[in-house]
Amino acid sequence: MKSGMLREGLAGCGRGLVAQVVRCFASVPLAGCIRMDATARGRYTPRAACRGSMSILGNIGAGWVGTGSTWRHYMAMLWSVLRVVVQPRYWPRTTRNVLARQILFTGVEAWKFIALIACMVGLSIVVQFQVWLTKFGQAQLLGPILLMAVVRELGPLLVNFIIIGRSGTAMAIEMGNMQIAGEVRALDAQGLDPFTYLVLPRVVGAAVSIFCLTIIFIVVAFFSGYLCGVLTGAQTGSPLRFLDSIFGALSQADVLNVLIKTLVCGAMTGVICCAEGLSVSTASTEVPQAATRAVVRSTAALFVTSALVSFVTYF
Amino acid sequence: MSTTSILRFENVSLTAQLPYTLDLAEVSFELDAGELGLVLTGHNTEGLPLADLASGLVAPEAGVVRFQDEDWHALHPDAATAARGSIGRIFDKRGWISNLDVDENITLAQRHHTTRPAAEIEAEALAFAKLFGFDDVPRVRPALLRPAELRRASWVRALVGTPALILLEHPLRDLAANSAPPLVAAVQAECARGAAALWFAESFQGLEHPRAVFSKVWKLEGARLAAAKESA
Repeated sequence: MKSGMLREGLAGCGRGLVAQVVRCFASVPLAGCIRMDATARGRYTPRAACRGSMSILGNIGAGWVGTGSTWRHYMAMLWSVLRVVVQPRYWPRTTRNVLARQILFTGVEAWKFIALIACMVGLSIVVQFQVWLTKFGQAQLLGPILLMAVVRELGPLLVNFIIIGRSGTAMAIEMGNMQIAGEVRALDAQGLDPFTYLVLPRVVGAAVSIFCLTIIFIVVAFFSGYLCGVLTGAQTGSPLRFLDSIFGALSQADVLNVLIKTLVCGAMTGVICCAEGLSVSTASTEVPQAATRAVVRSTAALFVTSALVSFVTYF
Repeated sequence: MSTTSILRFENVSLTAQLPYTLDLAEVSFELDAGELGLVLTGHNTEGLPLADLASGLVAPEAGVVRFQDEDWHALHPDAATAARGSIGRIFDKRGWISNLDVDENITLAQRHHTTRPAAEIEAEALAFAKLFGFDDVPRVRPALLRPAELRRASWVRALVGTPALILLEHPLRDLAANSAPPLVAAVQAECARGAAALWFAESFQGLEHPRAVFSKVWKLEGARLAAAKESA
């Protein structure tokens, strides 16, 4: 009745846009031993019946195919989001309202904590580098080094990481609880596609919030770094000279790097957390498991994407 | 009165899989505009998939479910979603979005599917709320309302926005025996306007003069739906 690989992750929300996308992906044949396991409610897992006859290699292969289908599922969702995000008809006032609430929760309510972490990072980096740069008589390089460390890597990575822990888990738990309480089905019954009403604004909200928070993070880290440099007697020069040294070192690649690492990674976080939350089907005990999976997979996606982007941008 | 078909089941069969627990076999019936149908479900009918089938939320294994002459599963997903927006429904259990207030829940579908001014939707909801004994539309989380109040609030939600089809799953549950008349009157008024309604109840209990109120009455007998023969 309900087939298609995305059903596993979007039980009850498969009739919308995602279903169309996934139908394409679902037509890809899976390995013979990967079958629908009734106990896993549609999740592709090595079936118990296969265990006796399947070799160790087969089991390893089955695991990899299962992992592959999960990530293909995430990519299908991300593609669906990208497809509809610029189409106004998918943004009725209710969805815009959810987006505003998501940005409020993920972005606005988190900025103070992000600023605090940025302040500490700025101080730590300055203290570390000041020692070494002063030894080599290169204190004027503090600005460019802050740029390299904060803009290119630490800023996007830490902000994403904090948002995964703070908002990603909340998203997964909220989605999971909504599934258990029949709220996703209730939305669907009223003609509110769970994909456009629940997933789309959360993914966009996460991406936009992470981008804005990263900007805040960078600004605060620079400010605190400079302040620390001044207070500790580092030869950072005047504020204008410090800013000039930073902007002088800023390249187009840096801007592209920040955009991808915040918007794409933020969207991935939203997609993974929503998908894992919506994969909950029967028992409330599945909710914490889904939240754990969401955090682990979002973090993995973040680090892999971040490393790939750095490699492609700067190598 | 128009005789446009609103809902038609054509030999619909479904083997129950969770969350459904009751099979359906070769169920056929039709509701035209203006008709109010009653399905007597008997006891132990949690998990009856009829309302979800009528909403196109689940595909039958065999047969066709048509809403306004369109096969649900031949519809484009976006069209199906929009069509569901013209169905008012009282859910058997749950059905409330817990992080929205009751008034937001009530107006949610209209705010989503239409561009009607919010004030106009709220005024309509308030009119129904007063009809059903509220002083105002409840502005608290669903968890903070008593079951009886929540059930009456679900009446309001089902009727706001001139729905084409109204699905009433056990609308009198949690309520006193004499609470049906305002709802029956409101549903009859909607039917007179051109809507169709399908009312699910365990028995005739709580319904006054059901033969006069309901134009069609069916009874669930095992997995089949048969025209009810017993008198009220």
